[in-house]
Amino acid sequence: MPKVEINGVSQVFWSNSGAVQALAETSLSIDEGEFVCIVGPSGCGKSTLLNLVAGLAKPDTGRVIANGKPVTGPGPDRVVMFQESGLFPWLNVLQNVMFGLKMAGVPEPERRERAEKLLNMVHLSRFTQAWVHELSGGMKQRVALARALAPNPDILLMDEPFAALDAQTRDMLHDELEGLWASTRKTVIFVTHNVREAVRLGTRVIVMTARPGQVKNTYEIDLPRPRHIEDIGLVKIAATIRDDLRSEVLQTTHEEGIDR
Amino acid sequence: MSTVVHQAPSAVLSAIAQTKARKDRLERWRIYAMRLAFFASLFGLWQALVWLEVWDEMIFPSLPQVTETLWLGMSDKSLPAAIAISLQRLLIGYGLALCIGIPLGLLLGRVRWLNETVGMLAMGLQALPSICWLPLAVLWFGLGESAMIFVVVMGALMALTLATRDGVKNMPPLYMRAAHVLGASGWRLYVHVMLPATLPAILTGAKLGWSFAWRSLMAAELLLVGVGLGSLLERGRELHDMSLVVAVMMVIMFVGLMTDRWLFSRLEQRLVHRRWGTSA
Repeated sequence: MPKVEINGVSQVFWSNSGAVQALAETSLSIDEGEFVCIVGPSGCGKSTLLNLVAGLAKPDTGRVIANGKPVTGPGPDRVVMFQESGLFPWLNVLQNVMFGLKMAGVPEPERRERAEKLLNMVHLSRFTQAWVHELSGGMKQRVALARALAPNPDILLMDEPFAALDAQTRDMLHDELEGLWASTRKTVIFVTHNVREAVRLGTRVIVMTARPGQVKNTYEIDLPRPRHIEDIGLVKIAATIRDDLRSEVLQTTHEEGIDR
Repeated sequence: MSTVVHQAPSAVLSAIAQTKARKDRLERWRIYAMRLAFFASLFGLWQALVWLEVWDEMIFPSLPQVTETLWLGMSDKSLPAAIAISLQRLLIGYGLALCIGIPLGLLLGRVRWLNETVGMLAMGLQALPSICWLPLAVLWFGLGESAMIFVVVMGALMALTLATRDGVKNMPPLYMRAAHVLGASGWRLYVHVMLPATLPAILTGAKLGWSFAWRSLMAAELLLVGVGLGSLLERGRELHDMSLVVAVMMVIMFVGLMTDRWLFSRLEQRLVHRRWGTSA
């Protein structure tokens, strides 16, 4: 049984210029322990797809099944990591990581212990008492990762989590995430617009079409790990996928009138 | 070549810290000196106007006169008693306004139909000086404490409610999404997310509410007979004792300044500036 099953979901948004179909009927099946990266032109509904799995939005048609149960709302088995950390400024680093555990009713000593362990894992054990504004962008995303992992979700949903970081920090976080995934074998759905990042991380890369988005092509990536973003094999696969994506991007820019 | 310097040597750090501490100290003294000079010249100007006899001393009391009134009021305990009774009314009324206004504001920010109805009423009431409630309050609660406290509550409540509501409305939606994903729902969203996320706005509302509470109380005390700073002011008017009037005005300003410095500024520093990384 697949870990996540997306069955003919679609979604329409209402904007000032009328109805916009963000997502055409899309189906996708993801097995346990897979690291699926979704790439697509901007506005293709890849984030929408992630929100549907997270239960933060309801599809207009179709349904999502996660862990054998239909998704009706957010749940601690599916935690999302956002592009902006979304850390709470009124809590310090440790309290942020403990938040999900507190909501789950985990008693204080255990909560603290688990949070400290996670912060240790993302190399932030010296910053447990820091306030969020005192952290750099990369540190914030590390805390956000620890916070997402704290409730021990089976499924980790990542919405362009490293898009706002500089290349060096991103490389480092790729290594950390890869190591983490290898040791915990969580199911990861990772949305990005960075093709190389997708190939760097994923066991499978899914290319989506321009709006209304749907699955265009799927690429199995069986490069050896640990990978490096400049590996020649990786770069070649990324180039192929980028060509595939380019036609979609062109269509988007055409629709938005950017090419004129 | 691969040496990574995580931290400057501690000697360098402590030297930097010392220099900074010295600079901060100097800056603080500069501010004290500036304030002292300002208020000294203000009092000087006041006294100069008295000496020039622009107005009669009956309607423009001199600084020594006011000081004497303050001193007398302090030594016969009439002034501390008035301060105590006014503060007590203020604290009860303001406390009630906090207890009602913050939860109400959170609800208004989150529940749309409530905002469309109760929110509109609150906006209307905000435009109404709370002293307008006094005639009704006297009929409902009698000529006493309760009527005055009611006027204080009505004075502070709207500012608090509306500030809290706007705080919720301006809260980054990402906080709610993150909280949902991490398993927060129902009342926990209010207590663990919306309330702390809105603290900066709530504190702004609390300061505004506090000043509205004072205004309302003074108006009520001026109109109703009894003990309190407002009543003392009224007595000054009746006896044509302008130095008493000025003394009471100064006491009210002083209490206001002290509350801001010792309560609100500290709360803001602890709960907002340190956490959000904003500056005072």
